Amino acid sequence: MPIQVNRGVVGKEYPPWPVTVERGRIKDFARALGDLNPFYLDDQVGAASEWGDVIAPPTFPVSFRDERADSAALLRDLGVDISRVLHGEQEFEIHRQLRPGETYLCRTKVLDIYEKAGKSGPMAFVVRETAITDKTGEVVATMRHVTVIRL
Amino acid sequence: MKYGRVYVEDVKVGGELPPLVKGPIQQIQLTRYAGASGDFNPIHQDDEFAKAAGMGGVFAHGMLSMGFVAQAVTDWAGPGTVRKLGVRFVGLVRLKDVVTCRGRVLARSSRDDAHLVDLEVWAENQRGEKVVAGKATVALPSRA
Repeated sequence: MPIQVNRGVVGKEYPPWPVTVERGRIKDFARALGDLNPFYLDDQVGAASEWGDVIAPPTFPVSFRDERADSAALLRDLGVDISRVLHGEQEFEIHRQLRPGETYLCRTKVLDIYEKAGKSGPMAFVVRETAITDKTGEVVATMRHVTVIRL
Repeated sequence: MKYGRVYVEDVKVGGELPPLVKGPIQQIQLTRYAGASGDFNPIHQDDEFAKAAGMGGVFAHGMLSMGFVAQAVTDWAGPGTVRKLGVRFVGLVRLKDVVTCRGRVLARSSRDDAHLVDLEVWAENQRGEKVVAGKATVALPSRA
């Protein structure tokens, strides 16, 4: 008997949350990937670069989380257990590099939920978008996540 | 040369990126990635949990493989060049798997001061099965 997901979540906007980019977090993230690019890890290389500081790997914003707006919050709203969840798709649009020490505001909303037959049975696809804006309100990066629920 | 700087004039449609080989995947890397990314889903850490969930055992975060693909792009194009990266996670990466990231140039375009190159990107395991498939756009400098 397939489970039901709460489709009322479509359109929901989660509370915005601030993230201050820490250079140590950038470096931990790059090392966890095994990406030892000196533009991520070496403060001197960063200082001499066109950005004037270290920059982050393209997928670093996925580490921006808040317990009121993260996947656990989504799953509570959907009424779904974490053991049923797979990551279907992910997209990043990067307009400007994140700067260590700067604070950004993240806003996540649920754009869509649709169902499809997967290889191992029916699945629901939940599409979320997180916009990351700087102090002036300019969007510096956007993430789009597609979460797959095995129904 | 590992950390290249590619100029838009040097890019040919159909050209391939140097492959990036990552792994074999070890549990400690998944634990480290969980800490760095904040994704502590036990399905990537706890074999019993993953089996009970019907997944046959622990598998890697999709985002780890996507990070590998991003590295393949930036190792070639240079850091800070990625404007867009979008992927589908089409296969699970298991412990001990070796992940090879590849890419191919789809198109080149210039408008105003921006020189953009569209790439097809993917990652495959040691059996040649795709685990990640997607597209990327990088902004490259010009020699002009």
